Amino acid sequence: MTIFRRLLLRLGTSLIVLVGVSMLIFCIARVIPGDPARIALGPRATTEQVEQMREALHLNEPLVVQYGLFMRDLARGDLGISLYSKRPVMTDLAEYLPATLELVLLAGLMMVVFGLPLGALSARYRGRWPDHLIRVFSLLTVSAPAFVWAVGLVLVFAYFLPLFPITGRIADTLNIPHLTGFMLIDTLAAGRIDGFISALHHMILPAFALALSGIGQASRLTRSNMISTYEHPSIEMAQAYGFSEARIAQRYAFRPSLIPSLTIIGLDFAALLGNAFLVEIIFAWPGLSRYGVGVILQKDLNAIVGTVLIISATFLIANIIVDFLVSVINPRIRLSENGK
Amino acid sequence: MTLTTRTTVLGSTVLGLLLATAPASAERILRADEVAVGEIDPAKGTDYADTVLAINLYDTLVYPKQGGAGVQPHLATDWTIDGASYTFNLRDDVKFNSGNALTAADVAYTFERMMAMGQGNSSLFAGVVDSVEATGDHTVVFTLSKPFAPFLATLIRMPIVDMATVKANEKDGDWASTWMSQNSAGSGPYMITSHDPQTETVLSYEADYFIEPVENFPETVRFRYGLEPATVRALMGRGEHDISSQWLPPEVYAGLAQDGASLVTEAGLTGEYFKLNTQRAPLDDVHCRRALAYAFDYATMAQLTQINDNTSTSKPMTGAIPQGLTGYDASLPVFQQDMALAKEELGKCQYDPADHPLDVVFIAETPARERGALMMQAIYSTLGFKVDITRTPWALLTEQVTAPATAPHVVEIAISAASPDTDSLLYAMYHSSQPPTWISSSYYKNADLDALLDKGRVESDPDARQALYADANAILADTVPDIYAYELLSPFAVRDGVTYHNLADPARTYPVSGFNMRFADISVSE
Repeated sequence: MTIFRRLLLRLGTSLIVLVGVSMLIFCIARVIPGDPARIALGPRATTEQVEQMREALHLNEPLVVQYGLFMRDLARGDLGISLYSKRPVMTDLAEYLPATLELVLLAGLMMVVFGLPLGALSARYRGRWPDHLIRVFSLLTVSAPAFVWAVGLVLVFAYFLPLFPITGRIADTLNIPHLTGFMLIDTLAAGRIDGFISALHHMILPAFALALSGIGQASRLTRSNMISTYEHPSIEMAQAYGFSEARIAQRYAFRPSLIPSLTIIGLDFAALLGNAFLVEIIFAWPGLSRYGVGVILQKDLNAIVGTVLIISATFLIANIIVDFLVSVINPRIRLSENGK
Repeated sequence: MTLTTRTTVLGSTVLGLLLATAPASAERILRADEVAVGEIDPAKGTDYADTVLAINLYDTLVYPKQGGAGVQPHLATDWTIDGASYTFNLRDDVKFNSGNALTAADVAYTFERMMAMGQGNSSLFAGVVDSVEATGDHTVVFTLSKPFAPFLATLIRMPIVDMATVKANEKDGDWASTWMSQNSAGSGPYMITSHDPQTETVLSYEADYFIEPVENFPETVRFRYGLEPATVRALMGRGEHDISSQWLPPEVYAGLAQDGASLVTEAGLTGEYFKLNTQRAPLDDVHCRRALAYAFDYATMAQLTQINDNTSTSKPMTGAIPQGLTGYDASLPVFQQDMALAKEELGKCQYDPADHPLDVVFIAETPARERGALMMQAIYSTLGFKVDITRTPWALLTEQVTAPATAPHVVEIAISAASPDTDSLLYAMYHSSQPPTWISSSYYKNADLDALLDKGRVESDPDARQALYADANAILADTVPDIYAYELLSPFAVRDGVTYHNLADPARTYPVSGFNMRFADISVSE
């Protein structure tokens, strides 16, 4: 099976999954207690006004009809108006998704850049002080949730040592034209190096807070995988051939150990989309996770479904990319899928 | 070049670039925040953040009276009342931010748009107004369907929009709803520079405003949403935030005060009510309700709301009506705990407390309220009640309170008057015609009170209204549909160098919640 066909197959199954998710979340959102019309209009609204809004939102229709109307509008690219922000849901998603994606991508990069080398270092110096130090660090980062790190990082690196900004995506004085919503790209597209540096400066603390747990997890996983790989006869063979320690570690121990770490990082990365909300709140980051929590609390039906669909789609895409990367790293997977 | 030198050069370059991107403007900027998302369309907004935005972006015919009760002229210079007909003469020197002159036609259009959209504060006018007619460039007549004494006060909730600008941005008969949620079309002292409803609204001062701003008023305002207490503390510590929201935990206010911020409070006609479900046993028996009210520890509650030695977020109530509203009587004694009377009333109650556990609910999003619930649990256990405390998310609570038979026994909640008229508080809370919502969640039915509240709507003589609402207050104090825990004083931490004049000086304070945050009345150091 060619890569293109495999990709098509995965996209097709992902589409089916998305339809399933849309049905599920559509029903679940309507089971959450609270009348969205009453919540949106407030306690002083008259019964007639509430009823009028319920009609406008089709809330009095049977669930199947409501779902049909939703899918019809979705096919037109319309997810309705958010009762939370009072704007089209599509506008909200288009504005908030890039902010979260940008943050999560940097966090994912940090997981790879810091997590894998730390794990490799830990395995390489197994039982010695670098190993102990890294294991304590990993344990700490995995055991405390991201928002604890976020508050801690703000206190240390923004309050006591004012090295980093606390809130926002870019310095207030900079006005960057909106192009993609990704601040790093938009600043470069506008030729504003100062804006790029400012945007990066604003991203470092929240991304690091978000990444810490993943860094610890990747490090622990890489370490344990590399240790088992080191016990493989092929490593003994390489040592017998007189290869350098660095070459053995890099080529024969690290690469096979990457596969499970990469899979976990991929899943972690996708999960960050949903889990980023506390970090986004602490850093006042205008992202999708924060929006998602806000719309759930307000029982904003259109926005709940829209947000979950976007997060699910991103999750599925991340999984496809990870599977692809894993098959590139491990030829056995590729060959078995090709029936060889 | 050595490694150390290279590192030093690289570090200096990065630091230089970072400093170059730091704000270096001499512009006077005010940074404040609120918890909720901000709505800038005045036809949709209802809550605190929406009010703050509305009063800075738009103007109303009348405004709450500074330093007193009632209303004062604003866009309307004067008015005459002839039965159910109100004729307003408007200022002729007011222009919208667009440059268009503000006329009576804009007032009529604003009303039409608000009622057609059926959102926000339109419910305050529903069934009240028959027609609005511009009888001249600067004369507008409201004809009511029946006499409605609170009408004048209710007009503080009708910000006037620029008809020409709104119409120019209408799409498919949407009353420019989408456009107005991203832009402003008002005559207020500020206009929108940018707006993200869940993050921040940026406003800039409009130079031609018809009321002089205070000295060192902010030229730009960054009104932020949803900042965490830890974030606010850090931002204010760095001098990057000027006025906090009113929703921080007491410990954070105390910490900010220790760091040099000043604390001010706003008495916005808001009561903290423990709403008692009068439709469920044992609280359908007035004696049981009285027992709970007598046993309530008002003094401890006051201590719980104390931020530090100088600032409290509460003051005692003398009844259902907060100070500043018609019917408030300062000569009445404040509520105090009396366990002897509580036990006496409980003896008259038809229910045995041991057989009727009480479920007390507080809103999960306001964790500080748990302290009040725990205090109730401790005290009422001495009366023999088992008290179950539940932390309930807001959305769930709004659903629970729609069914009196299964709604919680006690809900702790703050309720504000929508206008400087007692009707806007008591009618929504206690009139038997009201739908079951969290405001009316004591589900009170009392024909005598209904009659008084109905009379209050048609009686225009101030003395007669005072007497009517005083009588209503007495009925409520006697029949206890709620425990009147305290009048809420909303606290704000203000950074050193910023003067919040309207709250610092009682003579300048507007009595309605949110109306004091007129940005042009706040001084900021450069």
